Amino acid sequence: MQADSLAVRAAPSLSAAKVGRFALRYALVIILAVFLLVLAATNHTFLTLSNLNVILIQVAANALLATGATFVILTGGIDLSVGSIVGLSGVVGALFAQNDGVGSCVEAVLLGILAGTAIGAFNGALVAFARVPPFVATLGNMTVASGLAFVASDGQPISGLSDLFLSISGEFHGISIPVVVMVVVVAVAWVLLARTRFGMHIYAVGGNPHAARVAGVSLRTNRFAVYAISGMLAGVAGVILAARATAGIATNGTGYELNAIAAAVIGGISLAGGRGSIIGTVFGFLIIGVLDNGLNIINVSPFYQLIVKGLIIIGAVFVDSVVNGSDD
Amino acid sequence: MSGAVGAEIAGAAMPAGAIAIDCAALSKSYDGVIVLRDISARFERGTVNVLAGENGAGKSTLFKIISGQVRPDNGTLELFGEPVRRFDASHAQSLGVSIIPQELAPIPDMRVWQNLLVGREKVGALGLLRRREMIDEAAREMEAVGLSIDPTAPMRSLNVAATQMIEILKATSRQARIILMDEPSSSLSSRETEQLFRVIRRLRNDGACILYTSHRMEEIEEISDTVAIMRDGAIIRHAPTSTLTESQIVADMVGREITELFPDRTIRGGGGPVLEVENLRVAGYDSSVSFSVREGEILGLGGLVGAGRSEMLEAIFGTRPATGTVRLDGEPIVLGRPAQSIRRGIAMVPEDRKQAGVLTSLSILDNVTLPHLDGFTGAGGLLDTAQRRTRALDVLGRTRVAYASLNQKVGHLSGGNQQKVALARWLVTGMPRLLILDEPTRGIDVGARSELYRLINDLAAQGVAVLLASSDMPELINLSHRVLVIRGGGITGELGRHELQQEAILRLAMGRTTDASR
Repeated sequence: MQADSLAVRAAPSLSAAKVGRFALRYALVIILAVFLLVLAATNHTFLTLSNLNVILIQVAANALLATGATFVILTGGIDLSVGSIVGLSGVVGALFAQNDGVGSCVEAVLLGILAGTAIGAFNGALVAFARVPPFVATLGNMTVASGLAFVASDGQPISGLSDLFLSISGEFHGISIPVVVMVVVVAVAWVLLARTRFGMHIYAVGGNPHAARVAGVSLRTNRFAVYAISGMLAGVAGVILAARATAGIATNGTGYELNAIAAAVIGGISLAGGRGSIIGTVFGFLIIGVLDNGLNIINVSPFYQLIVKGLIIIGAVFVDSVVNGSDD
Repeated sequence: MSGAVGAEIAGAAMPAGAIAIDCAALSKSYDGVIVLRDISARFERGTVNVLAGENGAGKSTLFKIISGQVRPDNGTLELFGEPVRRFDASHAQSLGVSIIPQELAPIPDMRVWQNLLVGREKVGALGLLRRREMIDEAAREMEAVGLSIDPTAPMRSLNVAATQMIEILKATSRQARIILMDEPSSSLSSRETEQLFRVIRRLRNDGACILYTSHRMEEIEEISDTVAIMRDGAIIRHAPTSTLTESQIVADMVGREITELFPDRTIRGGGGPVLEVENLRVAGYDSSVSFSVREGEILGLGGLVGAGRSEMLEAIFGTRPATGTVRLDGEPIVLGRPAQSIRRGIAMVPEDRKQAGVLTSLSILDNVTLPHLDGFTGAGGLLDTAQRRTRALDVLGRTRVAYASLNQKVGHLSGGNQQKVALARWLVTGMPRLLILDEPTRGIDVGARSELYRLINDLAAQGVAVLLASSDMPELINLSHRVLVIRGGGITGELGRHELQQEAILRLAMGRTTDASR
């Protein structure tokens, strides 16, 4: 009896305001769903099995970046450097993928991923130990990684890659390898975030850093780790995209960071940190992938596509602040 | 009273190991200002010890030294007979010292069980969390202290009191042998405080040594074994609670006898209604309210924490969405427009001083004149600072704020003075018509309280209508002309001046449903 005033407040009854908030929260999803339905009804190539397969393959690289972004944003940070890392990792991978042979290919893949991880770790060190704001640290490293990629490639596409390396973006017994990588990465990320101590600590760090520290959770370790993970996944994406482009190109990932952040935010990962799940991110990058594909099919110019995507990002953040943010 | 040791009566006969905290001649100063002088005191295991003293008396500095956050300049500290040489927080934690700060630190987006067990996870095969086990563990820990909260509920769905209890559980579940609580009850209503006391008694019976700061006299008598009274950085008396009287404690704290904490209520007859509220329904609540406040009247709002008082006040001021009609001096005001409310003469001193009442990083001058900058803007859009200073000095004098300079940051003032600044800013351009006060004395010491009460009473005597929400019963009863009791966003009763009694307010605050469920 003593506890009744302490007990959880009963859920207030369904009010107009609640319905409004619900509608707003899913406004973007609803609008996009309508767009897709119209597309599916009017265009006969859109809803074919082969096109859906194309979408999945196109989505795979962004899925990796968006998964990295999810880790980072959950701690309350942001990573703007992943687009440049894609370019750098692709160039590094390509430089070592000139010769035939399994050993050379493995070396190329590992070094490409390592390059991404190194930039990610540098981001993490700056944010976690030097206390540089994430926006500044990763914006700086976006330029640094891009510069490194140009230096390493001398500004030229690195082509002449081995067949084995190129097959990374292909199929194995009819199954697309990038899609398999995507599924594995997302599954591992889900387990890490939802089912392990590491994941719980990431939510705690983003949800209330002070409380996390008081509870004995290391802010530094966790912040460092998420940027390193984001860099590593960008490295994987870079290698895959280099294989798909049949060359390592420094500018291969330009602008990809925004697609990744957009996917996470559309999926409900709050930019304030500590809220959202990887499942949401999956919906986020699927929506973006389908939208890209759909706009292409109906011949919308890529220039207009940029405008649409930019507005969608703003819309997603707006919805996040209206639905979740308290009015201060 | 379990054998309490006062500073003066500290005997050499104490058995070794019974002393949890032994301070000898601890001193500390910041920038030449002495904040602790020559503190010598012993606190035993299995006792609850209240540190009483006005804000700035040195209580929190002493807490910081014991919890390893601050190194003393001189003197020694022994914990469980071992001298402390390293002053760092994690070392103190490993010795079993746990501190519960006044500011809560929940993680609102995580579940209750996650909040409770973060940092103490149970990990099984492959590094996976044992969720089920952790949820059960959280339920067990809460049940042990009589809390009935669903461990899987989101933390943000809990009210302040429940959040506080979770925080206390979290801090004490780490094998804490010394627990420092900085005003744990300041945001709890009296019923919730009882619950807190149950937790404290359990900890005491388990052999913990508890140091507790409080400004509430009734609590000191109810919960403590000893009282250590601090003034100007020194412990001037430490004795078993049973040997002290309330007036002694208060007199020691302030260094003078406070004869009257509350001023005599001024009764002004014949004033017309200033504020009229009709069918005001705050978003998220089902009930609506209608009432009015007359000129010179102090209308108290009672109720439990979470009853919706603050929300109602915010709605009247315009910072929270609501429907209904609010009239000031007969003219309706548009809801949701705080700037307009200010122009019409509504002044608001919100509940959460640090978050909404003052801007701690700005100077006193800026804080006091912020709502009136339009009036101080001269030709070319520049601020007339000379004018601002004159008006600020005037109003700070009237509200008796103790400060060093107008450029001092408000964050450096004591809680009581911060609250006076929050109030002073509304007196810069003459009298407000309606003054809204939400928990105006939370976390404020007795001396400053008494001055605030006088100030509020004086304003009412000059014709200001006052809306006062408070969880402090004596304050509500002694200051108000009339009290409305709020529950679930609606009014459950009205008590006139002669019916004002603690039990009557509480009964209404808890509502019939609670009575029926007993």
